[in-house]
Amino acid sequence: MDSDVILIIVVATALAFDFTNGFHDTANVVATSISTRAMAPKIAVTYAAILNFFGAFLSLAVAATIASGIVEADLITPLIVFGGLIGAIAWNLITWYFGLPSSSSHALIGGVVGAAFVAAGPEAIIGEGLLGKVVVPALLAPTLAFCVAGLSILVVYRMVGRQRPGPVTRGFKLGQVISGGLLALAHGTNDAQKTMGVITLALIASGHLGTGADPPFWVIVSAASAIALGTYMGGWRIIKTMGSRIIKMDAAQGFAAQGSGAAVILAATHVGFPLSTTHTISGAVMGAGAAKRVSAVRWGLAGNIVIAWILTLPASAAIGGLTYGLTRIFGEGALGPIVVSSVLIALIGWTFARRLRQGSAITAAETA
Amino acid sequence: MTPIAEIVDWGAMVNVIWTSFVAGIGVCAIFSLAIIGFARGADLRREGAMVGATLYFGLMAVAFAAVMAVVVFGVIVMTSK
Repeated sequence: MDSDVILIIVVATALAFDFTNGFHDTANVVATSISTRAMAPKIAVTYAAILNFFGAFLSLAVAATIASGIVEADLITPLIVFGGLIGAIAWNLITWYFGLPSSSSHALIGGVVGAAFVAAGPEAIIGEGLLGKVVVPALLAPTLAFCVAGLSILVVYRMVGRQRPGPVTRGFKLGQVISGGLLALAHGTNDAQKTMGVITLALIASGHLGTGADPPFWVIVSAASAIALGTYMGGWRIIKTMGSRIIKMDAAQGFAAQGSGAAVILAATHVGFPLSTTHTISGAVMGAGAAKRVSAVRWGLAGNIVIAWILTLPASAAIGGLTYGLTRIFGEGALGPIVVSSVLIALIGWTFARRLRQGSAITAAETA
Repeated sequence: MTPIAEIVDWGAMVNVIWTSFVAGIGVCAIFSLAIIGFARGADLRREGAMVGATLYFGLMAVAFAAVMAVVVFGVIVMTSK
């Protein structure tokens, strides 16, 4: 009975994480298009949500891995996964509140690492995996995207500089719609699979599925729906940061940032060295701005974003570890997750209500 | 303690770097060619230079087809990983 209740809570928490993942990472796909008015805000998030949904069905290749090669797989229990998910959800909400783009994948890894550390000690963590699969790619992604987008915009300006601005702007807006669509598909494919992996592992651990089983159809549909719904809701604070606060971009810069960012992400995926979409697109936006004029980039804000990236792993690990510790106070049964979930839901509700009372929510209209 | 040189897959990283530069700059350059083809083609058609306009619209069509081929390749990469 207890294990079934824990399973239901883990599945619900995983779908909640999936929702925050879509909500948090919408900016990667739509921010530049909204900023340059290539698409109206609501149309942009609807377009991204639909492609997110269908992207989730494209591939299931990584659906069986969560923090694979980073945490000892045989030590992962449903309570550790629960702690990891709460750590990731909390960090996604904190960074969204401050309008800072950060990696949802790194938050999930951090949360699971923290919970596993508290549960089984340092031997549960594979340090080499953490360094090779998280830290090094986190350094590479923004730097590489910055350079590629910077060179791309210089090439673009050189090529189209003597053309009439009307057709050029219309053309690059169309390019943003195409590259944004590709990014939305990639986001649905990559990120919905993480949730599918979490739910499938929980089903295997509870004996509802055999070892090595593929995600059931209802898991695929629910993960696709949760990320698409989150994307449709739109994390407007982060969209505003990515689209207009880092740099004021024109259509050519928007296309160079998004097009070269998509190229970097897919090239890395093709080579087998996956990079964070958030780190890549943020770096590309900064690169496209700095190549035109270094002072065009708000470096103070860029510094805050980098600090959020540095804090992602330790902060989500701390919250994940704390969550696991709190649940274990109530034993190994379902009471711990029930209490923690209830407290978290109350806390989120209170925060949203407080913010709504302040009347300072950023809406779709304000992002354009 | 494993040294960092053995933890990181340097070969894959070098491949990521050069393919990213080629793909990123390549896509932006080819799309810019499509825009040049469209803009110049429209200008020449307005001036009555139909042969030049046709050539520029041809350039636009080829460059746009190349970009769409890259998009299709991107989807194949997503599905085959």
